[in-house]
Amino acid sequence: MIGVAPPSYDPAAPTTASTLPVGTSATVRGYVTELLRRHRRAFLLLVTVNTVAVVASMAGPYLLGGLVERVSDDARELRLGVTVSLFVGALVLQALFIRQVRLRGAVLGERMLADLREDFLVRAVGLPPGVLERAGTGDLLSRITTDIDRLGNAMREAVPQLAIGAVWVVLLLGGLVVTAPPLAPAVLLAVPLLVIGCRWYFRRAPAAYRSEAAGYAAVAAALAETVDAGRTVEAHRLGDRRIGLSERRIKEWTAWERYTLWLRSVLFPVINVTHVTVLASVLMIGGVFVLQGWIGVGQLTTAALIAQMLVDPVGLILRWYDELQVAQVSLARLVGVREIEPETGDAELTPAGRDVRADRVHFGYIEGVDVLRKVSLDVAPGTRLALVGPSGAGKSTLGRLLAGIYAPRDGRITLGDAELSRMPAERVRSHVALVNQEHHVFVGSVRDNLRLARGGATDAELWAALGAVDADGWARALDEGLDTEVGSGGFGLTPAQAQQIALARLVLADPHTLVLDEATSLLDPRAARHLERSLARVLDGRTVIAIAHRLHTAHDADVIAVVEDGRISELGSHDELVAAGGAYAALWRSWHG
Amino acid sequence: MQIQDLPYPHPGVPDARSGPRFLWWLFRNQLGGQLKALAWGLLHFASVSALPFCVGIAVQAVVDRSGARLALAGALLAVCCAGNALGDTFLHRAAITNWITAAARVQQLLARKAALLGSALTRRVAAGEVVAVSTGDVEKIGWFVEAVSRFTAAALTIVLVCVGLLVYQPALGVVVIIGLPVLALAVLPLLPRATRRADVQREKAGRATELASDTVAGLRVLRGIGGEQLFLDRYRRASQEVRHAAVRSARMWSLISAIQVLLPGLLLIAVVWHGVHLARDGRIGVGELVTVYSSVMILTYPLRHFEEIAMAYSFSRPSAKRAARVLSLERATDTGGSRAAGTLPSGDLHDPDTGLLATAGRLTAVVCGDPDAAGRLAERLGGHPSEKGTPVTLGGVPLDELPLDCARTAVLVQDKDPVLLSGTLRELLDVPASGAVEPSEALAAARCEDVLAALAQGSVGAEDPMDARITERGRSLSGGQRQRLALARSLVADPEVLVLDEPTSAVDSHTEARIAEGVRGLRDGRTTVVFTSSPLLLDRAERVVFLHEGRAAAVGTHRELVRADPRYRAVVTRETDEEADARTAGADGAGWDAAGSDVAGVETVGVETVGAGRGRALNIDRRHGGPESDRREDGRRESDRREDGRLTDDRLADDDVLHQLEEIEETA
Repeated sequence: MIGVAPPSYDPAAPTTASTLPVGTSATVRGYVTELLRRHRRAFLLLVTVNTVAVVASMAGPYLLGGLVERVSDDARELRLGVTVSLFVGALVLQALFIRQVRLRGAVLGERMLADLREDFLVRAVGLPPGVLERAGTGDLLSRITTDIDRLGNAMREAVPQLAIGAVWVVLLLGGLVVTAPPLAPAVLLAVPLLVIGCRWYFRRAPAAYRSEAAGYAAVAAALAETVDAGRTVEAHRLGDRRIGLSERRIKEWTAWERYTLWLRSVLFPVINVTHVTVLASVLMIGGVFVLQGWIGVGQLTTAALIAQMLVDPVGLILRWYDELQVAQVSLARLVGVREIEPETGDAELTPAGRDVRADRVHFGYIEGVDVLRKVSLDVAPGTRLALVGPSGAGKSTLGRLLAGIYAPRDGRITLGDAELSRMPAERVRSHVALVNQEHHVFVGSVRDNLRLARGGATDAELWAALGAVDADGWARALDEGLDTEVGSGGFGLTPAQAQQIALARLVLADPHTLVLDEATSLLDPRAARHLERSLARVLDGRTVIAIAHRLHTAHDADVIAVVEDGRISELGSHDELVAAGGAYAALWRSWHG
Repeated sequence: MQIQDLPYPHPGVPDARSGPRFLWWLFRNQLGGQLKALAWGLLHFASVSALPFCVGIAVQAVVDRSGARLALAGALLAVCCAGNALGDTFLHRAAITNWITAAARVQQLLARKAALLGSALTRRVAAGEVVAVSTGDVEKIGWFVEAVSRFTAAALTIVLVCVGLLVYQPALGVVVIIGLPVLALAVLPLLPRATRRADVQREKAGRATELASDTVAGLRVLRGIGGEQLFLDRYRRASQEVRHAAVRSARMWSLISAIQVLLPGLLLIAVVWHGVHLARDGRIGVGELVTVYSSVMILTYPLRHFEEIAMAYSFSRPSAKRAARVLSLERATDTGGSRAAGTLPSGDLHDPDTGLLATAGRLTAVVCGDPDAAGRLAERLGGHPSEKGTPVTLGGVPLDELPLDCARTAVLVQDKDPVLLSGTLRELLDVPASGAVEPSEALAAARCEDVLAALAQGSVGAEDPMDARITERGRSLSGGQRQRLALARSLVADPEVLVLDEPTSAVDSHTEARIAEGVRGLRDGRTTVVFTSSPLLLDRAERVVFLHEGRAAAVGTHRELVRADPRYRAVVTRETDEEADARTAGADGAGWDAAGSDVAGVETVGVETVGAGRGRALNIDRRHGGPESDRREDGRRESDRREDGRLTDDRLADDDVLHQLEEIEETA
């Protein structure tokens, strides 16, 4: 076998457009420097204990060298007792400090890792809502799971171990220079081979390991999907195709395993030959020196034993170096989030009144393609407005604009004459809240899930909020009431119950203006209508903008805006619109029989 | 088995009676690879262990002032070097190959098992177990199976070296032989505690990751309503807990490291003490002393394998047990069927339990007040349900008596929560099908135009939306978009009987109405059953069956039933209780919304309770879409017209539907 080319299919290649930035090398460097500065004491401590441990470890070869010298010289006084005592002392010292090295390494690594993941989450939760809506949470999610995981290894092991290995090598070489100065250059004979071999390897390894890991994850993912979709797989008779897919994933993964195995098949002999070369050159050159009488046999012994000890730190460095390279990519993805400017907004801007007004608003997600065109709308305080229209007409987009999540490309959206998009997100949401179809239940108790909307809410308030969304029935039936653990891993709430939780949060947050984007779509239609009515009682006097796919929501509203093709085509009360006989009227009749 | 030949054409039938049996089965099936690893391992460890002898010879040669012997030592070193490099590299290759082939075999077995179990896996416990085995256990199983031969090689080497030492220098060899077992076994008692702590750490780390991803997944909710600080604090606590657990675990491992330094060191000192005395008395040479010293130093390397095999076994035993349990899962019911898999039955679909009858070639809608009961009934309509009952018949043939695959071919049941499998859109729609329905037709009928646009936008380098990728479970799409793609997939399959359970519950009314037309057009002449309570779908069904308390209580068209059956009306018009009360209170004008009844220009037909309640509940619009001349004005008018045409004229002929479908395809 001459070699293995890297497989053509790369499972680590991105398939969806990543919209969040990846850190530039300057950002990464800046962050690493900051991290090291924060932990410089722990770092110095690690280097110190490591130095003591390594120096103590060299006592053995040194003392043995002395003994060998004296035995071979037939010296009268061996000083065996003293030597052995020193030896034991050094050994105990070494053992104690090796323990500290491991421990301090872990302490340092864990601290940096904890900082890193907490920093990341702090940044992530500060992202402007608009960025989140645009980018989705998938990319962030993969950063906080996969990338943190990869960095875990690097921080926990690679950084401390590399520091240890580097100190170790330097000290061993130093020991060699001190005990047998003429032999030090002999070690260098093996260096060119090592450098060439490692350069070849490290140029290819990090990317290959990334692909290999992605390939293995794809094997597990394919199976997890088959399991998750068990019903669908059986109904569509996809079993054989799923097996075929799993086997294809196995083939792709093992192709990368084979490639990385080839990379190591080159690296391993290089390292092995290097080790023996170091030992052999010290022994042979040193032997000649002894024969010439330039150094003593004791010095040779010490040098040979130290050369043998070099195996460990060199192995350590090589073992963890590529981990560090992999980590660099992950780090860049994590700190990339720092490059997004937090939208601070204009803190001075406060709305005067509750009038929501859209004035000739244009908006599009992509340059040159407007989803909304020249939309003007005036929502008086306390109005219930329903937005209806076909999918893709721009209802949800308009809802998000009215909730201040996006800024219009042209025109203004104001709340009490203050422009929403210029206000800080925290201020906007104290006035306007958006509940969309995303019905996320957080891991934690029911209480935690509600309290995020109002930190100090009492249990009575929480129950009242649940009652307002018709949820108190099932909530009271829960074994541990508000303390019941829900979310992934806890009690599984149905999508409908999750939606009720989301609405109960809204009741607690109690903003004066609400945007509900299909907020009851997952409830069974009758329950949905009942909920909307009881909610309406609680929200009496609030401005409610509801994006509806069920017409009864529209029917119950004060004003209906029909959104079609990025414009408001009809506007008026239910009765007016039915009387006008336009698109809404047609739909209503069809829907209502 | 070489890595490049994977996957196995047949992964074999595993011995899954117990964990250890399963491990043994895996081992037995790669005996060749294990022997190869053993042989290379012996070469590797032997070469490493021979290094001290070379060092000893070299030192002794120098002491004896012999250049020739020094050269001999150099030559021996070169041989060791070659043996070591070859042995190490090929041991690694053999070991990794064993690992990969074992892991691939288990993954293949799991994939086969999962495909076989199908819907039986949706029971959550079983599903979680399969995934856990695939993600975590396979690695551990592979590790242990692979480590066996490496351990054997290391153990054999240690024995060989001890024997060698005894022969070479009996006096010192004895000291080493007494000391070695202590070294090998000393840390073993600490390992269980260390691994337990490592497990605690892993568990806490998993919890922290879960909290973090949970926070990020719900970030839009948090940013919209507040509570970020609450969640940050919670995560910080979890993250610090991980840190503490990790340091606690590191304490244990660092203790083990210290012992691993201390004990060999003490043995070294004993060897030196004893050896120097012997050398002093002239009973051994200096070189021999150095040899024994560096042997002890180097023997710690194969000795580590004792710890490794102990850990590998303790990790892999529960993993193997779980894998064996998963691989021995079977379906509760017999899937073979008592009838031969001949021609597929066709005809009316009949459920004796509820009395539901779906006429062949017609679109039947089923209204059922209880969504869970509807789900169970839908499942039974496909045959081979998880709960036994009177079997549903198709053309008089009980579906349970057909082999599972035949029953699924004849009747396709799309449940409430169909899963979109990740891959390109083309792959999604590439399901076993009759071939009569093109993907483009199905997509048009399910009104997926905006889904296609959204998909194309989110994909890298996909010009054709059919090449756009759908992420796992279609998470990047909205609920309504997912439903429409799933519907398109079922339409492509074009089965004899198609059962749809709430196929458009998350789709907006505008689109739902169009989908109803699309489905009716595409399924013309085929048997279709739709579970729904949406008037937009019901109105377009040829027959509506109303189930009440588990029995078919009324059959007719939507209009007939609305008129005739108040229970039906209550379910489909989504009246709230107060509205129903208002209606029963009579037509005395007490209702709070009387405006609806006086809609101009609407001819009301057969309205039961005109006036106070929901007077406009039942009317038929005679208005038609815009004039023909408007048809081709421009895109916008076109879509308006289409909407009017489709939504208002509820007597739209099928020809018209087809015609409009073509138009949509053209404009798309």
